[in-house]
Amino acid sequence: MKRFAAVFWSLLFLSVPVLGVATFIVGPAYDIWLPRDVSEHGAAVDGLFYFILVLTGVVFIATEMVLFWFIWKYDESKSNGPGRYVHGSHTLEVVWTIIPAAVLLFLAIYQMNTWADVKMRRPNMSPTVEVVGRQFEWRLRYPGRDGMLGTPDDLHLVNDLHLPIDEDILIQLKSMDVLHSFFLPNVRIKQDAVPGMKIPVWFKAREEGVFDIVCAELCGWGHYKMKGRVTFEPREAFDRWLERKYAEQEATQPTGSEATMTSRAAARPALFARNEPL
Amino acid sequence: MKMLVRTLDMEYETVSAFAAQAGFKTPSGDLIRRDTRGHLSSGLFPVWVLGGVAVVLLLLTTTGCGKTAAASYRLNMVESAKQRLKPEQEQQVATILAALFGTPDEPIAPSECGLDAAKLHLAAGPVRSDIVGRKNGLYREHCAHCHGVTGDGMGPTAAFLNPYPRDYRPGVFKFKSTERADKPTHADLVMVLRNGLAGSSMPSFALLSDAKIDALSEYVKYLSIRGEVELALMRAFFELDDEDQGRLPEDREFLIEEIVLPVAEAWQAAEDALIDVPEMAADIDMAASIAKGKELFYGNKANCVKCHGVTGLGDGQVNDYDDWNKVVLQAQKTVQGGIEQAGEASTWDMDADEAVEHRAELAWLDRFQKVLEGNALPPRTIRPRNLRQGIYRGGMRPLDLYYRIHAGINGAPMPAAKGTVPPEDIWHIVNYIRSLPYDFNGTLGVDKPMVARDRL
Repeated sequence: MKRFAAVFWSLLFLSVPVLGVATFIVGPAYDIWLPRDVSEHGAAVDGLFYFILVLTGVVFIATEMVLFWFIWKYDESKSNGPGRYVHGSHTLEVVWTIIPAAVLLFLAIYQMNTWADVKMRRPNMSPTVEVVGRQFEWRLRYPGRDGMLGTPDDLHLVNDLHLPIDEDILIQLKSMDVLHSFFLPNVRIKQDAVPGMKIPVWFKAREEGVFDIVCAELCGWGHYKMKGRVTFEPREAFDRWLERKYAEQEATQPTGSEATMTSRAAARPALFARNEPL
Repeated sequence: MKMLVRTLDMEYETVSAFAAQAGFKTPSGDLIRRDTRGHLSSGLFPVWVLGGVAVVLLLLTTTGCGKTAAASYRLNMVESAKQRLKPEQEQQVATILAALFGTPDEPIAPSECGLDAAKLHLAAGPVRSDIVGRKNGLYREHCAHCHGVTGDGMGPTAAFLNPYPRDYRPGVFKFKSTERADKPTHADLVMVLRNGLAGSSMPSFALLSDAKIDALSEYVKYLSIRGEVELALMRAFFELDDEDQGRLPEDREFLIEEIVLPVAEAWQAAEDALIDVPEMAADIDMAASIAKGKELFYGNKANCVKCHGVTGLGDGQVNDYDDWNKVVLQAQKTVQGGIEQAGEASTWDMDADEAVEHRAELAWLDRFQKVLEGNALPPRTIRPRNLRQGIYRGGMRPLDLYYRIHAGINGAPMPAAKGTVPPEDIWHIVNYIRSLPYDFNGTLGVDKPMVARDRL
């Protein structure tokens, strides 16, 4: 009975590393792995992830194997002599403190450059788009032809973010109510949108495609469905899309062909010439 | 059994003594302890049994328990209480509606309504898949938690929202391209779904495919027609003669002809009844238009400042209600007034008939109050739009603002300017309003909000 108990528990604990490793092996076949990366800095981020994964994975498997072995071998049915109190080995304790500390220190320094690229080295440019998180949507504001946010020629949209590829993109991130987090999995970007703060987010996309924008900070009952869509497209397609959307926004008639709407919107004078008195 | 007996023999003193000798403390009453031989065991069961039970429990929590009941439509209890319907009459309404319109899982679209049954099938019922790659039950997935399964705007999350989600049952919709009293067009419903209502809790569903948005708009129409028919049926009891004995005629032809068709025809008529919007001149002098618009905004014809305030912050008046909340508010007032009145009456002076009537009145008031507490959301005021924020619920296009001013907002206190303000002048007001978010002390400029509460 005791042997059975020992076998049961040791196998139970063995199942943890076995199943753990199995999920990592089987997962990619079911498309459960890192999402496709289309960004410039993504390779560095993923590289860090893999490095840490391998390192911790090796340590994990090793320690779990030791655990299994001890439970298997040192059970009551086999060794029921009195326990021996050991004062411990000072050398062993020092070794298994210094080595992990050194590894952690290495990791901390190794990742600094990638962190700085993503979070500190902001490109010197005006925002491509302002993203405002709101329960439970992403409100977007493009600066429009004058390149300035906050003027009447801004384009206001919801959830449907378009961006040009192969260009530096700067997003100004805000929140209208509570904490949200602007998460673009396929570009390896995640930044909390903090109410009261204007936070810059930058990246460069290398490939075209349509991907998800996901909220990554619990913001209320609708957090699970606070999804947007980001489309990366060439600059010309992006410009055409902006023009079309702006014409729709300035529509003064219920229906109209794309061409007439665009030309009408272009022909009409701006809502005001800047800095002129009312 | 032997093991069980042995562990039960364990004495607490022995354990403490052993523990003291071994140099560590055992807290009293722990489930797992050492017996006299220093072996781990528990008071009642061997440790491995506990472990096995724990594993089994863990597995059970992941699988969950049985199925939930099928969804069913909720009757319009406020209207039923208002019309003083008896339980049999309520039952009859429910039966007629089920025969005409089916259930939430199996909707029926009467052919006279002009609804597309395939779209209803896509939108209705629980979330499931009939054809590989196609998802059914769209309404349940996206809409029901706010708008309710019956489309009564009283889903589980509705109570936390301000403004409340739309109640489709009266057939009144705010943001459309038709005259004030008309129904919205299909394109209007699609636009609301696609863009959401900026500044309210209605999200944008632009990420859904066109087919799904189409199906959902059709289903909203279906729920609205069903709700209007329900209201008409409940009100029809008032028209009955004594010989009908409090029962509506259940002849399908009659019901379709007299009750369903008028509702359906109103919806169909809306498709061709768009507001005629004159062109805004391409060479318009914007500054002059804005100046003219400002005059009209502050003038007596349009009278915008009465509600929207002298600075356009929406603080002109803050004590009005929209139609849906007004119904509940007036019902509450009726019940309050009735209770006060009934409380003053004394049955001492009444004869038998009067006393019976009085008791019936009290019973009805009591029932109405319970209905209002359990089947209606507490009334909330509706605030006029803060025009300085540039957030407009029905859309920010100049066209949308034209519609709002021309036809007002159906169901809300916003009046129609049609008839009082000529169409070109409406365009001037539209241009003025669009300049308001950028207007600071008379100078137009980049947005630096004037008032802290306007800052995003």
